[in-house]
Amino acid sequence: MQNWRERLRKAMQFSVRNTAVTLGILAATTGLSYVLQVFDKNSNYVSMLFVLAVFLIARMTQGYFYGIAASLGSVLLVNFLFTYPYFRFNFTLSGYPIAILSMLAVSVTTSALTTQAKHSAEIRLEAEREKTRSNLLRAVSHDLRTPLTGILGASSAILENDEQLSREERLSLLRDVRDDAQWLIRMVENLLTITRMDGSNGARVAKSPEAGEEVLETAAVKFRKQFPDWKLTVQAPEEFLLIPMDAVLIGQVLMNLLENAVDHAAGGDQIWLSLERQGDMAVFTVRDNGCGLDVGLLPKIFEGKASAGSSGDRKRNMGIGLSVCNTIIRAHGGTMKAKNAPQGGAVFCFALPLEEKAYE
Amino acid sequence: MNKYYVLVVEDEKNIRSFMQTILTSNGYAVLTARNGEEALMMLSSHCPDLVLLDLGLPDLDGQVFIQRVRQWNQVPILVVSARTHERDKVTALDLGADDYITKPFGTSELLARVRAALRHAAQRSAGQRDGSYVCGGLTVDWEKRRVLLDGKDVHLTQNEYKIVALLAQHAGKVVTYDQLIRHVWGPNVVGDNRILRVNMANIRRKLEHNPAEPQYLFTEIGVGYRMAEGD
Repeated sequence: MQNWRERLRKAMQFSVRNTAVTLGILAATTGLSYVLQVFDKNSNYVSMLFVLAVFLIARMTQGYFYGIAASLGSVLLVNFLFTYPYFRFNFTLSGYPIAILSMLAVSVTTSALTTQAKHSAEIRLEAEREKTRSNLLRAVSHDLRTPLTGILGASSAILENDEQLSREERLSLLRDVRDDAQWLIRMVENLLTITRMDGSNGARVAKSPEAGEEVLETAAVKFRKQFPDWKLTVQAPEEFLLIPMDAVLIGQVLMNLLENAVDHAAGGDQIWLSLERQGDMAVFTVRDNGCGLDVGLLPKIFEGKASAGSSGDRKRNMGIGLSVCNTIIRAHGGTMKAKNAPQGGAVFCFALPLEEKAYE
Repeated sequence: MNKYYVLVVEDEKNIRSFMQTILTSNGYAVLTARNGEEALMMLSSHCPDLVLLDLGLPDLDGQVFIQRVRQWNQVPILVVSARTHERDKVTALDLGADDYITKPFGTSELLARVRAALRHAAQRSAGQRDGSYVCGGLTVDWEKRRVLLDGKDVHLTQNEYKIVALLAQHAGKVVTYDQLIRHVWGPNVVGDNRILRVNMANIRRKLEHNPAEPQYLFTEIGVGYRMAEGD
């Protein structure tokens, strides 16, 4: 019973758009038939045109209702307008029931196929999403275990061997605990972002106009607090730029890119963070003076699997951070690139549209 | 010298205990409460000098707590909140909380906020503030309505001066967009903080050597602005 109701509801999906499509196509077909009749009095093709119209309507609307209504409407229209006697209904024509039935068949079959195609596309999309999610979960659980083991080990070492440990050893263990905890927090923030974007359906974000320089400043302040040993140079344009964005998410992208430089730019000690206007885009750039990127990894760097070397070494796994960045930027309607700077070091840049584009 | 009493309201035992350790070892006397009801009782019986409030309490919504306290008590309230709750932070500040600190925070950050909040409370109860604010090369003179940078007069528009003066009065503390807008443009201009941003951008260009690396005016994205603590 429930199932039937559900099916009936799906078959009868009313909307202004569907109604407009149906009426529009029928009107266009009627108009076209009239025009063609000026050139050719023989009106055999009229019913063909209406079959095509019914086919299009069934394809372009949701559910069965509009297709069926259109097929009945078409039969009546052809009868009324294009068959003798004109502007009068004549239900005694031979083959009339067959015309109605064939129109109905066209509409029902097309609607069924359309609905089915839509349904399977939905299933495929859902499966895809499920797969990404479980991949991510697997990668993350693995990544979380390592620092947790470190924290547990170091803290038990201090608790259980208090007397044997020198002050130096104790401090070094505590520093490890702090670093691991800091890393865990970053990881969890990225995970929170992912769930937040999932919730907002199709990774659409809530944007509000933010001052570009304020976003840079906030990221720089946070970074300097966490990594006082790194030299960070920030440059914003003289022009005041208001950029539509979710500032928390973009701040996180910048933090991920800066931290990524700290983790992976071997031999580096300096980062340049800048913002400039290029046409109708605001371009953020993070450049370091480290060892640069492995060119072989570049094509897949944002896919969340670019983990170089042995899987046991978490420091080398830059996958999740960068793929989160990419997801965030794409959800903003922007683009993201990674390359090596001519003077050496890695460059990550992303561009955000300055004007809010109207969706759909 | 008498110690300042700080009331820590936090339901997580570990966080409560580390805040207590930090504060005690820096010369504060610490009271703790595990939930809102307990905190309200402690407030009326012990009259602490400062409240550190976690917004996610088990029994009472943090916002409700602030409203209730503010009905009869002007004790400074420092809100502790997680990153994901920007809205809550702003609401808490507009309801009368004095400042906020985002989890996770470091020791020095916590102590700086506590110091700033206590100093503001002391100034407020004395009903008197110094005639000027000085921080590095920046001086804001309220009496003469002048702003000096490295000894030179800075020409600010009327509204720009109002913004700088308010931030300087609350130096070290965050001032929300709403508080600034109400102060400068009056209570009837609501919603759009674009005009405030533009004013801030102009101020930044007049007061900061590199607007992207400010020394005096700091942005708290989504919340408001904070001026560096005075010397």
